[in-house]
Amino acid sequence: MNVSEEKIREITLAAIKELGDNATQENVKEVVERTIKNLGDTIPDSQTTSDQIILTSFGLNQPGVVAAITTALSKVNCDISDLSQKLMGDFFTMIMIVDISNSDLSLSEIQNEMKMISDSMNIKIMLQHEEIFRSMHRI
Amino acid sequence: MNYNFEEILETIKMTEIEHFDIRTVTLGISLRDCIDRNVEVSKQKIYDKILRYGSNHIKFAEEVEANYGISIANKRVSITPISIPFDSYKTEEFVEIAKVLDKAAGEIGVDYLAGFSALVQKGFTNGELEMINSIPYALAETKRITSSVNVASTKAGINMDAVNLMAEKVKQTAELTKDNDSIGCAKLVVFANIPEDNPFVAGAFHGVTEHEVVLNVGISGPGVVLDAIKSAGNVDMQQLAETIKKTVFKTTRAGELLGRKVAEKHGIPFGIIDISLAPTPAEGDSIGDILVAMGLEDVGAHGTTAALAMLNDAVKKAGLMASSSVGGMSGAFIPVSEDQGMIDAVERGNLSIEKLEAMTSVCSVGLDMIAVPGDTPASTIAGIIADECAIGVINDKTTSVRIIPAHGKSVGDSVDYGGLLGLAPIMAVRNLSSDKFVNRGGRIPAPMRSLTN
Repeated sequence: MNVSEEKIREITLAAIKELGDNATQENVKEVVERTIKNLGDTIPDSQTTSDQIILTSFGLNQPGVVAAITTALSKVNCDISDLSQKLMGDFFTMIMIVDISNSDLSLSEIQNEMKMISDSMNIKIMLQHEEIFRSMHRI
Repeated sequence: MNYNFEEILETIKMTEIEHFDIRTVTLGISLRDCIDRNVEVSKQKIYDKILRYGSNHIKFAEEVEANYGISIANKRVSITPISIPFDSYKTEEFVEIAKVLDKAAGEIGVDYLAGFSALVQKGFTNGELEMINSIPYALAETKRITSSVNVASTKAGINMDAVNLMAEKVKQTAELTKDNDSIGCAKLVVFANIPEDNPFVAGAFHGVTEHEVVLNVGISGPGVVLDAIKSAGNVDMQQLAETIKKTVFKTTRAGELLGRKVAEKHGIPFGIIDISLAPTPAEGDSIGDILVAMGLEDVGAHGTTAALAMLNDAVKKAGLMASSSVGGMSGAFIPVSEDQGMIDAVERGNLSIEKLEAMTSVCSVGLDMIAVPGDTPASTIAGIIADECAIGVINDKTTSVRIIPAHGKSVGDSVDYGGLLGLAPIMAVRNLSSDKFVNRGGRIPAPMRSLTN
């Protein structure tokens, strides 16, 4: 966890307010530990948990590819906002735009879910934050 | 859909097939407040400060890599040129500082920490002399520390005393690290017009005019440019320049985004993006291959300098359009040992030091990762450094020399470091003596800036 100077000041002020002149080594330790614990609950996870994700998948076409991916996404509360698919001979390519802002999982956790599918079906699935496409392809 | 199929697949192709990655995210940390009369106290301050700011560096970079699906090859740290805060120290104390820096770098998990540096383009302080004398020992006794010394600038001229001293230090470093193919020399660069915000090791340091802590990013991408040139086919020069620009524009944008995100996670300012095309020994990740794809039979053919000049210029133009934070070297690197196309050209006898020197007058750095026979005299190395400095000083650009007089080796041998440093075939140098010229000492005066013919 990253504790900024501001937070340290907050912790110190909390300790002074509670203890005043009665401070001893033990009770200072106790107050600081309690305050840090409370702070930990309010500091958000540094992982991105909102916004649009672009899912790209390709591999040998086989029955149930789309179903497997969409089922797994819906299980973790991801909303598919757009989907397009192309077949080139035996190969399929699929691109989805997925909104993960309602999901409890972070992007990396969703990536792990998808890894299980890509391993079992022997296809490639990539999830990237939409910002990378915006920065590369839009002026 | 906001993006069409081709755009998305282009990005995927760049990252999956063409080795596009971010070469380095470099965390710059000022050590100016770490000085104490007692070296033990200074060491503790340095260690604590690097750990305080650097502990999460790897973690943050890996989180950003996962979010955007683009890998960040290296995570590094640069520090204030060490001679500046610790000017009162002696040689042995500088070696101690190097060791504690090495320990801190190991602790936070970065592969290199750069900034064991001094800026002596005009003259030396006593501390700077002590520090330069400590360089061979520091490099021999540490693994992750890299060192750079600026000996010339357009405003100051060329400090020939510093050039001679550095030539001796290069020789001494080669001798002290002879059991490992003189690897110390791969971590020591002599500069003219050194940039203060360069994120690329071994020449990186955290400039004295910088923030307390800053995040700089260096992109890579020769593979992406190579594929773009190949698929452009037989077009004329303007169209070729256009192709290079379009590609570099995209890689720059991606690099800046990732750099800003890493800086955001640290909660520190984002500094600059260095748009240099930086090769690696990996197949297809080579500047040499780009020059061949542009139509040369091999690197070293007549026309090589023109091709490199055009490539370098196109890279700069695209990068400047894509980002307002371009800095560092920002051009094309031509390190011999780190570029398979260059290594092959040297081994085939097509590329000589003389041609490389001409190429450095239009590329972003200089004679980089060049191995020469171990018995090359210091005065010849000083001559090579002086030549490079002259190119940099007169053309108002950065040039550098990272030369390895490989102990006990001669032309036909090679030194193999593996990994990013790669393999360097020993190149022939002129046997003519530069001794009397370089040992005049003093300073070559700063050049005039008009009548530039």
